Order: sequence, then C-alpha cells, then structure tokens
Amino acid sequence: MSRNFATNRAGGRTAVRGSDEANVLGATVRVRGRLLGDGDLRIEGDIEGEVRVRGSLDVSEGGNVRGNVTASAVTLSGSLTGDVDAEGAVLIRAGAKVAGDMKGSEIALEEGASYTGRIEADFELPDGLDDSRGDAKSRTGAKRR
Amino acid sequence: MAATVIGQGIIIEGEVTSDEAVVVAGTVRGKLTVDGAVTIESGAVVEADIGATTLSVGGSVTGNVTASDRVDLLTGGKLIGDVKAARVTIADGAVFKGNVDMDL
Repeated sequence: MSRNFATNRAGGRTAVRGSDEANVLGATVRVRGRLLGDGDLRIEGDIEGEVRVRGSLDVSEGGNVRGNVTASAVTLSGSLTGDVDAEGAVLIRAGAKVAGDMKGSEIALEEGASYTGRIEADFELPDGLDDSRGDAKSRTGAKRR
Repeated sequence: MAATVIGQGIIIEGEVTSDEAVVVAGTVRGKLTVDGAVTIESGAVVEADIGATTLSVGGSVTGNVTASDRVDLLTGGKLIGDVKAARVTIADGAVFKGNVDMDL
C-alpha cells in the first residue's frame, strides 16, 4: 500500500493530480474501509476506517471520521474518533469533537472544541526555560471537555 | 460539480455509499452504491460492484453494474462485468465484456 506514498515523497504531489480539482467526500457519503492517496482531501461525510493522505485533510463540520488519520496537515471541524499523525500542523476548531492522540509539528486547540486524548508536539522552549538544548518534547496528557 | 469527487490520487478500499452524485477519477475497490449519478472518468480504476441511477463509464470498471435509469459506456471506457439497466449505450471504441440485462 505504501507504493502510492513512496513514489511521491520526493516529487511533491503535483504529479498525480492532473487537474486541480479538490477531493471531496460529500455530506451524504459513507465509506467503510480504507482511504489512501495523494492530494488534499475534504471529508463532509462519514468515514469508518483508516485515512492516509499525502496532503492536507479537512474534516468539515458535519463530517465524521472513525479511524486513524495520517496526513501532512489536519484541520478538524467535525467529529473524529481516532489518532492523528500529521507532519505539519493539527488544528482542532471550535465545535469539533475529537477523541484520540494528536501528533504533529504544532497542535492548536480552539476554544469551544471538545477534545479527549494526548497531545504530542515537538517544540523549542523559550530561552531561559530551555535546559535541554531545543530537543524538548512535550508529552502532555491534555484533557478538555 | 458533484458533491463528491474521488480524485486521481485517491484510493478507497471498502464500501462507499452516497445519496448524491459521485465522480471517480481515482481508484475504488469494493462496492459503490449511489442514489444518484456516478461518473467514472477516464483514467479511473474501479474494481467494484456499482449501483446508481445513472452510470457513465469513461475509465475502467471491473464489476457488476446496476443502474435504475441508464448506463453509458463511453469511447475509451472499459467495462468487464454484467450490466443491468433499462437503457444501455456502448460507444464506438469502448471495451465491454459481460452480459446486458435491460429487462428491469
């Protein structure tokens, strides 16, 4: 299954997308199974299963994902039950309902979001607090309702 | 523009259902059930049984197909499987292997 990712790791994700049309799974769509691919993806419907995209993933308001998610960046406005592994930023927006562990370069949790899980993000502590020379790693047991 | 676009780089393995039109330019393996129009674009690969109101095939489909309205197999399209629909067209240059049942 990794072939799709491997070929595109270096070359970016332009090669696979002939046109610039966005990948959208509409509000009435239900998927039970696995979703893989290159390119940005917006989920407005209901997904039960693993989601792995090389691109940004956007779970819209009303969207519902039950399964683990891997993407370069993740924005959650809908509901997600599962772990997130992002290369870039993870944004949990107001109104989102999220349960699972988040991993990314940065994690943002907006006021009004419901979140249960663990947050793991690399960051550098500001001068004075930095006693481990920039390789500090948070392992925060964040819990918020 | 359809509500759902499964683009060129996307692979779905499993069951997909929708109440609105679906355009497939990527890969779907499993089952595709849509209460609306399904468009399989050129370059798309679908290895799934398809249920739809109308189905238009410009890409490659392997699986049995049922449409309450019609099935159009376009030039360059490839369909391997049985077709069940009230109206069926097969364009010149299309590839088809299977049975057609227009007795709905």
